[in-house]
Amino acid sequence: MRLVYRNIRANLDRASLFFELIFPLFFIFVQGFGLNGIVPPFDVGNGRVISYSLFLAAGAVTLTVINGGTNAGTQLWFDRKNGMFEQLLMGPFTRAQYILSIIFATLIIGVAGSLLVFGFAFPVLGASFAPTWEGALLIAGALFLGTMFFGAFAIALSVVLKSSETFQIVSTFAFFIFLFTSSVFFPASAAPSAIQAASLANPLTYTTDIFRAGLFNAVTSTVSLELGVLAIEAVAMFVIAVFAFRRIRV
Amino acid sequence: MVREQVVRVDELSRHFGDKVAVDRVSFDIARSEVFGFLGPNGAGKTTTIKMLTTLLPPTSGRATVLGHDLKTEGRKIRAQIGVVQQQDSFDQGLNVETSMDIYGLIWNVPKAERRRRIDELIGHFEMEEFRKMPTVDLSAGQRRRLQVAREFIHDMDLLFLDEPTVGLDPIVRRSVLDYLKERVRQGLTIFFTTHILEEAEYLCNRIAVINQGRIVQIDTPENLKRRFGSAKAVEFKLLQGTSSEMASALSSSPSVSRFGRDEGSGAYRVTTSRPESVIPEIYRLADRLSLTVSSIYISETTLEDAFINLVTEDEKAVANGGRSV
Repeated sequence: MRLVYRNIRANLDRASLFFELIFPLFFIFVQGFGLNGIVPPFDVGNGRVISYSLFLAAGAVTLTVINGGTNAGTQLWFDRKNGMFEQLLMGPFTRAQYILSIIFATLIIGVAGSLLVFGFAFPVLGASFAPTWEGALLIAGALFLGTMFFGAFAIALSVVLKSSETFQIVSTFAFFIFLFTSSVFFPASAAPSAIQAASLANPLTYTTDIFRAGLFNAVTSTVSLELGVLAIEAVAMFVIAVFAFRRIRV
Repeated sequence: MVREQVVRVDELSRHFGDKVAVDRVSFDIARSEVFGFLGPNGAGKTTTIKMLTTLLPPTSGRATVLGHDLKTEGRKIRAQIGVVQQQDSFDQGLNVETSMDIYGLIWNVPKAERRRRIDELIGHFEMEEFRKMPTVDLSAGQRRRLQVAREFIHDMDLLFLDEPTVGLDPIVRRSVLDYLKERVRQGLTIFFTTHILEEAEYLCNRIAVINQGRIVQIDTPENLKRRFGSAKAVEFKLLQGTSSEMASALSSSPSVSRFGRDEGSGAYRVTTSRPESVIPEIYRLADRLSLTVSSIYISETTLEDAFINLVTEDEKAVANGGRSV
């Protein structure tokens, strides 16, 4: 936990965090309201019909999961660039503890970011928000697993790529792909068939769907399956990140 | 009295593919000793430190650090050592004081003790004026000072210093060296690398010279100078200033290995292994050319001379297919 605290204090830029918060709010309050007038309300499952602004608001909250992932890669890059990576590994920690500290810091940032965005978006969401224990658990599970996947993905990417500049470009592009082949902006069922197929492999789709199901009490029989797929993807990516991390030359 | 051995290294090697970075090095370090590790760039100093601090696994050989096996007890070793790396290491989002505080926190130093040590170290290392400055805004020397000071926030038995004084001005450098000496008197053991040989001479009890991955010689600074620093410098000035005849005659003398003149002081400098024959020769020449020697003295051999001789001889031995040790 000492390392987690250190990662959050030392490696996170307040300005970046601010803009990561602004980014989803922009979608909620600008795009959501803008398109609300031309997109009719629709069923998100279990007979729950909601407006497009509500649909997008829930999706935008899960964007913080991706932002958290970027932070994980950035933390590792800063430590490598500033010599702290080696310094910490020559201290009283193992490599496993170091990588776990980044993942935990990412989880804290991801979940805290989601809660903040959720708090800001509450005036929009509040009308249809139907809190249940089951829903709260689903929301927590989706945010936890989603952040874990994208954190591990960014760590693996930052190990493979040779410079922090390349990391920023490639991760932005990769997250752009994840974003537009997910159900953040529109239901996957409404997308072209190629995007539908891609969305089935996309963990952000499952993160968003599970989050919405929990938030709007729209739990269907497929949610547990989606949770299972997301958990497998998150664990698999974590294992890949650990293997990639072991390859870092000091 | 036999002193406790803090580090025991036996035939330790590290290969990177076909390249042998460290080749079967062996040495011991006793408690409260400052052990210097000198060598040209790329000689294997940093790789040796990385192995002894468990950052890099050795390809072969054995070592114990503070009684713990290097290969199987890395975590126990790391809990008792400190490291100041050759490269910069700093937390870019923090100021100097917070950076030291968080470093102490990750070493599990209690908060009150951290506060006390931070104040003490900031005083010792003269960092008060940039105490609240973000680490990214520090000059290279200030950042180096922070890096060295920060390491003393936690307790340790053995400290690895990889060129710790690079970028420091002479006054700060001397105060850092004196602080290290004080800590050694209190029981700390230091493994020290530097390219500034005066500071190695000032600080180290023993010195290992490493070249191309192998240890060429280990001895005290005095013994290294005595055994390998054969060349001495004879410096003299002429009342008349310069003399091309004198310069020409001394340059071609078989007793002189190097000859030159310091434009600043106007003194001639003769490097020789036989000052006892060069000095009478200078006076004979002056007499013959009707010149007056206004001052003359022999400067002592330096550790730098010994180091250069050792490395040069080793390079020749490697080129000829054999080595000096």
